[in-house]
Amino acid sequence: MSELSATVMNLPRRDAQDKLRGRTKYTNDRIRPDMLHAVLLRSTVPAGRIRKLDVSAALRCPGVRAVATGADAPGLYGIGIADHPLLAIDTIRYHGEPIAVIAAETEKQARAALAAIVLEVEPLAPVFTMAEALQPAARLVHEGWRGYEVITEGGARAGNIAWEAKSSRGDVDAAFARPDIRIVESSFTVGRQSHVPFEPRVAIGSWEDGRAHIQTSTQVPWTVRNVTGRVMQLAPGRVRVTVPPVGGGFGLKFDASIEPITALLARMTGRTVVLENTRQEEMATCLCRENAEIRIRSAVTAEGYIAGREAVVLMDCGAYGGEQVFLTTMTAHTLGGNYRVGATRLVSRAVYTNTPPNGAFRACNGVYNTFALERHTDEICDALGFDPMEFRKKNVLGDGDLGATGQVFEADVLGPMLDRMEALRASTGTSEAKADGRLYGIATTVGTWFVFVGPSAATVNLNADGSATLVTSGVEIGSGTMVQSLPQIVAGQLGLAPDQVIVREADTDAAGLDVGVGGGRTTVSIGAASIAACAEVREKLLRTAGEMLQTRPEDLVLREGRVEITGRPGSGMSIPAVVAHAQATTGPITGSGAFTARNTPAMAGCAMGHFIDALDIPVFVVHEAEVAVDPDTGHVEVLAYRVVQDVGRALNPRAVMGQIQGGVVQGLGYALHEEVTLTADGRIAQDDFETYRLPLAQDAVPVAADLYEGAPSMGPLGTKGAGEVPILAVGAAIGCAVARAIGKPVRQLPLTPPRVLRLLHEREPPPEFPHIAPAGQQTFWAEASKPWSP
Amino acid sequence: MTVTFQLNGEDCRFHGDPMTPLVDILRQERFLTGTKAVCREGFCGACTVHVDDEAVPSCLRPVGLVQGCAVTTIEGLSSGNQPLHPLQAAFEAADAVQCGMCFPGMVMSLSAFVRDNPHASRPEIKAAMVGNICRCTGYERIVDAVADCLDQARKAGQLVGGIHV
Repeated sequence: MSELSATVMNLPRRDAQDKLRGRTKYTNDRIRPDMLHAVLLRSTVPAGRIRKLDVSAALRCPGVRAVATGADAPGLYGIGIADHPLLAIDTIRYHGEPIAVIAAETEKQARAALAAIVLEVEPLAPVFTMAEALQPAARLVHEGWRGYEVITEGGARAGNIAWEAKSSRGDVDAAFARPDIRIVESSFTVGRQSHVPFEPRVAIGSWEDGRAHIQTSTQVPWTVRNVTGRVMQLAPGRVRVTVPPVGGGFGLKFDASIEPITALLARMTGRTVVLENTRQEEMATCLCRENAEIRIRSAVTAEGYIAGREAVVLMDCGAYGGEQVFLTTMTAHTLGGNYRVGATRLVSRAVYTNTPPNGAFRACNGVYNTFALERHTDEICDALGFDPMEFRKKNVLGDGDLGATGQVFEADVLGPMLDRMEALRASTGTSEAKADGRLYGIATTVGTWFVFVGPSAATVNLNADGSATLVTSGVEIGSGTMVQSLPQIVAGQLGLAPDQVIVREADTDAAGLDVGVGGGRTTVSIGAASIAACAEVREKLLRTAGEMLQTRPEDLVLREGRVEITGRPGSGMSIPAVVAHAQATTGPITGSGAFTARNTPAMAGCAMGHFIDALDIPVFVVHEAEVAVDPDTGHVEVLAYRVVQDVGRALNPRAVMGQIQGGVVQGLGYALHEEVTLTADGRIAQDDFETYRLPLAQDAVPVAADLYEGAPSMGPLGTKGAGEVPILAVGAAIGCAVARAIGKPVRQLPLTPPRVLRLLHEREPPPEFPHIAPAGQQTFWAEASKPWSP
Repeated sequence: MTVTFQLNGEDCRFHGDPMTPLVDILRQERFLTGTKAVCREGFCGACTVHVDDEAVPSCLRPVGLVQGCAVTTIEGLSSGNQPLHPLQAAFEAADAVQCGMCFPGMVMSLSAFVRDNPHASRPEIKAAMVGNICRCTGYERIVDAVADCLDQARKAGQLVGGIHV
């Protein structure tokens, strides 16, 4: 297939040289001396009522040009439910919440003026944990939750439950009542993970010809545009968002946060305003991967058939619903993924607390749901005496199997991937000898995630010099999609070299709607829209060339910069000659294309409160870890790590390998030492690089990876997203390997040395969640099925 | 107070508080934004520059302490159309870069390291990277590129960053 052979290559990054020379201008490198600097007044209490907020004295401070409060931007935003003000209005819901903002000639002047703001807050009793939030008498984090605009219908909501999604398929009660089954129940808990992008959230806002223009470090220019419109009560079309290269995102920048504030201040002052989080602010208000609590139980026969499964997942959304509202959907597809199950019902709740809001982080709740499911699977194997690998081979989802929402999966993918893992292990060998007297464990785990497809648009302009300009709302966040896969795709479609494809960075005034860069969707969705745009370009190009060559367009091909007659290399004419002719006769050659989800059906009645009923493009992984645990210190060393990843089609195998290495190491941090805790007053305790323990070079291991190609995908050229899933099963593989090494159940991440030592000495209390269901109750569905009401 | 130092080979004068971190002068007054201020506490290494040929985090270096010193930033390592430093070329060739924000500091730290340690082993290279954090790449490709770079230089008897290896 020539189209494919012209597309697949290890294209180097065109942005590498400037990045290596320090010449790339990220948003926070674009601050100029004539800009105003904005600083935020943030709450120093976790919950309270604003009794007085007087900014008049601050306005008179030297250099101050404007002060804004919630009254200046009264609109609320959110995902699913509009519950989030730009700046606190009347109520404070977390420590660090922005209350007011000052714009001054210098940052120093703006900071000095903060002290002149008069703020009186009546403290309220904070609700810090989900257990507290779900008590019948708990104070409501959002007293007015009933009055919020519901943006997406369908989720059950009640008091401190911001959103509840449920899935139910088959007769679970009957499965658990069968005489031939054993019931295995497990509980798990995980903490938050902080993204720590090297470029913090930063925005530069200006007011130009009656419209806002925001330059910002974001993954979602259209969300920033729309949220700015909402909070400022402007038509979203009066907001333009442009995006310079982004210094790391990992999902943190998949929602709007501080960006609209710069537009607000620019409108007030007529000046360009920059707002950049300090590192402390960035980490203290990070929209982390959420902490969660999981109870799962399964009814399994002696033959190893999973007759029934039920689970409850509580996800802490913090003070505002945010991404967690959407992510409740993903429990059905992750905790409900991986395995063939007879009957299943799952409930997932996003719970409000007076803590900093959480958000999206690379593979999101998939990471901990996979940890929970895989550890639970090993506990099933322990209880019933199954070999963990054989049990997985027997039960992983295959062709025609049903998912939790009744989706029918296509093709055997996970099974052959497990075989490939065994082959990979045979080729690399194992590392048990390196354990050197320490406790050794090895575990193979599986994971199910998806591509967040959704709408994308693309325009391709073919130029008279033979180059093509690709205009989309894509953003280069580091994963390489804008500098590798997209130019490769367009070049392959038009018979060009990738360096002839100019890729425009996101500008909401230039390109059509896009859901953003995240969810593994850029190559798939923007790629598909680009191919559709190229089809129009090809059609015009071949029609013009056909007239010039007196040949039927269907007898022509595009190859190496020429329009050739099929089967006659070197015939025909150069693309620039055809473009020039078209420009003089019928006009410039352009094409536009669009793409969106196909909305794969679920079984009727199986999915309630779900944003996605079924996965258009499932993505599978198999991860294997070998660990050595020092019994004296509890330190876990990762001896070896292997990945088999379902990539659909790898357009740039070397770049995909780079994503796998990076994603796995980020996952090792989550599994072993990245720990976020809350102080007694509700702050994130780890708000700098000293206290938050990121992976260093010596923590990393080289990942051996095998790219599994050929699984079905609606993605262009059979692609799937490759950058998000490498982190998916790392917590699972490490958790299972450590449990086998120490011979104790692992039910919590991260596995810091103190926690591992407590596990070894049986001093780590197992998690218990009576607020999900009382211990020993026959089924926790009775509790879980009815939304809690105040 | 006035502080005078060499910046990328040219005289530079700073009038102001000598406790001002060098990184702020580089970024805010000289617009040398290749030096990244990420953690501002000396942990991440993204602001690494050379002061009299020694790699130091510029966030922890008050400008008063560089009086009379020669400061080289990433922009000065290979300026204009000069060829890339061999390490920069190795990172580019290996497709090691992702978001890219750690790389200027990584290059400044490791260029001093390979100059002083031409026979460094892979574990020694990893140990040398303890002060340079990367959130994207998972490090191994960077380590491989440094090791390959040293290996090739040794085989060819060439220079890596100024001295024979």
